[in-house]
Amino acid sequence: MSDVAFQEDEYHRQLDLALWRRVLRHARPYRRPLLGLSVAALVVATVEVFFPLATGWLIDEAVANGVSGRLYALAGFYFALCLLLSVCIFAFISFAGRVATGVAFDLREQAFTRLQQLSFAYFDVRPVGWLVTRVTADVSKISSLLPWFLLDLVWGGSLILGIAVAMLWINWPLALIVLAIMPPISLISVFFQRRMLGSSRLIRKTNSQMTAAFNEAITGVRTTKTLVREDEALREFQGLSSGMFQHCMRNALQSAAYLPMVMSLGSLGVGLVLWRGGVTLGSAEGSMTLGTLIAFMQFAAFLHMPVEELARRFTDLQSAQAAAERVQSLLDTEPAIADSPAVCARLAAHSADAPRDDVAIDGFSPRIERIAFRDVGFWYKPGEPVLQHFDLEVRMGQTIALVGATGGGKSTIVSLLARFYEPTEGRIEVDGVEYRERALEWWQSNFGIVLQSPVLFSGSVRENIRYGRLDATDEEVEAAARLVNAHGFISELSEGYDFDVGERGNRLSTGQRQLISLARAVIADPQVFILDEATSSVDTETERLIQDGVHRVLEGRLSFVIAHRLSTIRAADLILVIDAGRVVEQGTHAELMARRGRYHALYVGQFTRQREQAWLAGDATPSKAELR
Amino acid sequence: MQAQTHRLRLFWRLLAGQRLVYACATLALVVASCFLYLVPLVPQIVIDGVFMAGEGEAAPSRLTAWAVERLGGETFLRQNLWLPALLILAFSAIAGAFTYLRGRWSARASESIIRRLRDQVYDQLQHLPCRYFDQAETGDLIQRATSDVETVRTFLTSHVVEIGRALIMFLVPLPLMLSIDWRMTLVSVLLMPVIVGFSVFFFLKVKSAFRQTDEAEAKLTTTVQENLAGIRVVRAFARQAFEEQKFGQANTTHRERDFRLYRILAWFWSSSDLICFLQRALVVCAGAWWVATGSLQVGAFFFFITAVGMFMWPLRQMGRILTDLGKAIVALDRIGEILGAARESAADQVAAPGPETLRGEIVFDRVSFAHAENSPVLREVSFRVPAGSSLAILGPSGSGKSTIINLLLRLYDHDAGEIRLDGHDLRELDRAFVRRQMSVVMQEPFLYSKTLRENLRLARPGANDEEIIEATTVAAVHDSIQRFAHRYDTLVGERGVTLSGGQRQRVAIARALVKAPAVLILDDALSAVDTDTEAAILAALAARAGHHTTILIAHRVSTVMHADQIIVLEQGRVTESGTHLALLERGGLYARLWQAQGEAAEDCERERLAGLAARAETAPP
Ligand SMILES: Nc1ncnc2c1ncn2[C@@H]1O[C@H](COP(=O)(O)OP(=O)(O)OP(=O)(O)O)[C@@H](O)[C@H]1O
Ligand SMILES: Nc1ncnc2c1ncn2[C@@H]1O[C@H](COP(=O)(O)OP(=O)(O)OP(=O)(O)O)[C@@H](O)[C@H]1O
Ligand SMILES: [Mg+2]
Ligand SMILES: [Mg+2]
Repeated sequence: MSDVAFQEDEYHRQLDLALWRRVLRHARPYRRPLLGLSVAALVVATVEVFFPLATGWLIDEAVANGVSGRLYALAGFYFALCLLLSVCIFAFISFAGRVATGVAFDLREQAFTRLQQLSFAYFDVRPVGWLVTRVTADVSKISSLLPWFLLDLVWGGSLILGIAVAMLWINWPLALIVLAIMPPISLISVFFQRRMLGSSRLIRKTNSQMTAAFNEAITGVRTTKTLVREDEALREFQGLSSGMFQHCMRNALQSAAYLPMVMSLGSLGVGLVLWRGGVTLGSAEGSMTLGTLIAFMQFAAFLHMPVEELARRFTDLQSAQAAAERVQSLLDTEPAIADSPAVCARLAAHSADAPRDDVAIDGFSPRIERIAFRDVGFWYKPGEPVLQHFDLEVRMGQTIALVGATGGGKSTIVSLLARFYEPTEGRIEVDGVEYRERALEWWQSNFGIVLQSPVLFSGSVRENIRYGRLDATDEEVEAAARLVNAHGFISELSEGYDFDVGERGNRLSTGQRQLISLARAVIADPQVFILDEATSSVDTETERLIQDGVHRVLEGRLSFVIAHRLSTIRAADLILVIDAGRVVEQGTHAELMARRGRYHALYVGQFTRQREQAWLAGDATPSKAELR
Repeated sequence: MQAQTHRLRLFWRLLAGQRLVYACATLALVVASCFLYLVPLVPQIVIDGVFMAGEGEAAPSRLTAWAVERLGGETFLRQNLWLPALLILAFSAIAGAFTYLRGRWSARASESIIRRLRDQVYDQLQHLPCRYFDQAETGDLIQRATSDVETVRTFLTSHVVEIGRALIMFLVPLPLMLSIDWRMTLVSVLLMPVIVGFSVFFFLKVKSAFRQTDEAEAKLTTTVQENLAGIRVVRAFARQAFEEQKFGQANTTHRERDFRLYRILAWFWSSSDLICFLQRALVVCAGAWWVATGSLQVGAFFFFITAVGMFMWPLRQMGRILTDLGKAIVALDRIGEILGAARESAADQVAAPGPETLRGEIVFDRVSFAHAENSPVLREVSFRVPAGSSLAILGPSGSGKSTIINLLLRLYDHDAGEIRLDGHDLRELDRAFVRRQMSVVMQEPFLYSKTLRENLRLARPGANDEEIIEATTVAAVHDSIQRFAHRYDTLVGERGVTLSGGQRQRVAIARALVKAPAVLILDDALSAVDTDTEAAILAALAARAGHHTTILIAHRVSTVMHADQIIVLEQGRVTESGTHLALLERGGLYARLWQAQGEAAEDCERERLAGLAARAETAPP
């Protein structure tokens, strides 16, 4: 299975610092709030070191001197600390919000813009749902992680440091005893966090599989119903949900075991302080007071928190690494089809000029006169050539028809023409210039394309038609609809042109969708038309009416028509019979008929069968004897 | 109120089967928190009963005196301070063990519930009527099935527990605190009502902000989703700038709402933290005052400081938990909407012993149907297809051809008239049974993201490879498949994008052929197939004629003319029906369609005759 490029990427065990450095670059515009955040975190940590100390001082003062001025001062100090802490908390949440929302906004914008530029080949192997997750969930994950990670890094680090310094300052032997619980806490944290990382990755992976399963259940619901495979599908799904259950259980058990262990180690610290500190308390040698003892016990009970928090953040970082990798790789993916540096330079040179009618944005003529395929070869996957040694030369005003067996490569040819893909061999020339030397934007804006499977956007009929030319007036929309014979059914819809076509247009019949996408192409007023089985689901009579209308539109333009119904293409100036990626025959209808080759066989086959059936059924026109 | 009891009932039903486990988890929590409070009690006893013995005016409490007595007396303890240290560790370890048990049990309970919920939602989605999906948006449904379920999961795994913990942690130490010092107890809980009240106030206040942010996020997601689903159209019209602008709007709104939420949260957290800190400051200062005046022992003071810390933080979380509770309620409602929707078979009245199999006689008797009121799609459609014969349906776009199929498959239920299969009213037959009797190729075929072989085998799980190849050969897709690098193991991507239009259609035809149904339905299934292949497929079908009833929808007269009976549908009405010849004679739409193709045919006829003549010349008899 080669096309699983989009599947969950493998995870690296180690933190990929280079990757994070690149991700961090997106936070560069937010240096100021990040700085504010760090300062706030530093102040918070400092204040938190002072709380137990202040408590200890209060106790010592109360025990030694009873109610005194100093006691009042200390109480005031304590309240002031509370106030300062709240202000800092307000500050860091606001700063974090600024960074998180800002980075998310920037990343999303860049990712979306990039997606608009990437080539079709990119989308061929990646499900829509998977891509949507990149722009939404993955970006959220990274952008919210960045500020909180920094916050906890500064806060946790300075808190541990602050506590250690304070304790060593006051009573270093006891401090060393308390600090001795740090290594085991860290070890246990690392041990468990590693494991939790593993299980949470499994959870995420199963989760995205489940999302895909739901997606398929909903989009394929009719097929599932008609195949009566609800129970089987449910069984498949239950496999996923059971897996999810197991992974979640494992993760929950890991964290259920982890927290009590760390807490117990904290209590061990408290006990040690009580024991060793209590021994020195009475003796004259130490500076140990009851207040100090209590402060130390509070430190010991508190010490595991920053360690735990730091460990958790590093796990978050690691678990967000996959998301970061995916987003970053999306941003780093250079569109396979884009303007070359030379074209960009020309675009830049001409962008300064006032727009002129006789010069395209890339400095060449805006009119297309001739298009030529020269020895074009193409494959979607290496080793499976779709098109080989394809040659074709066409002139403005011609109608070119492509016919031939299914899977022969007809749609591929027009995709190459529209530069949705580029030839892997040979060249396509526009008036003698290789089309890769023309501006992509200019080139593609000259096309009016009706794709083989019509896709509409949710919204009204009018909006959908107007998508072809955004500034079209209501009258022009209606005129286009009339031209393709869609006006009739549209005006019968309950809200006429304002009828909401539903998701992907599923409130319309297939033929109606085709007609609307045809109108959308007609209104675009392009130089080149591509109609890929644009009327395959429309009845013959309507098709004829459309042809008459579209024929007028096609006049003076270049058009490529793909059709299986040969009656629709007889009038074409050039008919190409495509088979297995090669042109096996070409010419006008008359020429090809005279040649009595493939086309003749196809054409005759199509209609003689029809005639024969009619005769067999008793239609008297030619006698049966004649048939022999 | 109604909604509230409804919700509670839904919630209570969710817990079914796991209530005992939850009860055990709660019990473990109570035990764990009892031991947790014993931990600071030990230093208290040691400080008051040993270190401070004899100092200060206040006598040690009865509890302290008793405990010191039990532990071997003041002097013994003073020399063996490791004993209380060990006790601290032991209590903490026991509390830890019970905390672990609580975690284990509550995880078991909640994960089981969620697994069941997920399965239920999936099952329900598959059984909802098509009408439901016409109204719903795919993205929204997926959101409900995934992130909403996830919200409920977090709620069950951590928040239910957190609420319990906050209460228990608050209630458990109260007697102990009261027995030590009632004044300090009072000071310790002084601001508690404020904290809880503030949380509730906050919860009410931010509900709408949260909702707005969620809405903005949903908008953002749908915008991206729609853009990417239609990316080929976007590119075909070079509408990138337009799309970027549309997305930019959604993105900006989302950022603004999200940032506003952060601001609100900043206010809330800093204020509620301030109240909590003030509460602790009150305890510290009041305690210090009473210690200074000699009416409080230092150890007891220490106990209160620690205890306040222990029960205050869970309570502080209440604000967040309440907001999450709010979210969970919304999520539960949204899931409830799916689960509460009527299944398609909800009102079915299946006649007790249905038939074993069907022969395939189909009768439509004045059947009418509408998607929305006053815009009828089918109007009094009547026809009869004898078992084993074939029916072709022809008509302009939107005339209701596919709708007939949808009714026959009971994807939708008709409004009036009667559909009969072998004389049984369709409504009295089991839906699954009816569908099993039919094999259908939809107008826009859907392939699952599985391998080709798996996709083909779906129609009849028992089918072996020969049967599959036979079907693909008839559908003229076997050769194309052989050319793929992985042949029948080729993974068909999302919606089968890597197949050409015709290939996808033919795989769907093959899938329908793998089954040997009573009724075979081809809805415009040959539209993207070249004419040779079409002829081959039709010939193969003709060879099977008589084995099953065939319904064929097409736009080419040449495709449908062989059918035993042809009906022409216009604007939901059967306007013509009969055989090819009969219809030609009527001179209606069918004849006109025939005419349209006829020109070409005549032209071709000339060619053919010319060909015959030429052959006659070159090869005389
Ligand atoms: N995006 C793609 N990725 C990989 N292979 C593809 C892709 N699109 C088409 N193919 C393959 O390329 C070949 C030619 O496909 P193409 O769509 O050009 O055929 P076609 O002549 O338009 O056929 P049809 O008449 O069925 O539309 C087929 O074998 C098809 O499976
Ligand atoms: N889900 C829906 N909601 C509302 N209206 C619908 C829905 N599906 C179809 N319609 C309407 O019902 C009518 C009949 O649709 P149907 O799909 O049966 O047409 P059809 O004859 O199969 O056309 P085609 O030849 O284009 O496939 C159309 O006017 C269409 O707009
Ligand atoms: Mg094609
Ligand atoms: Mg249809």
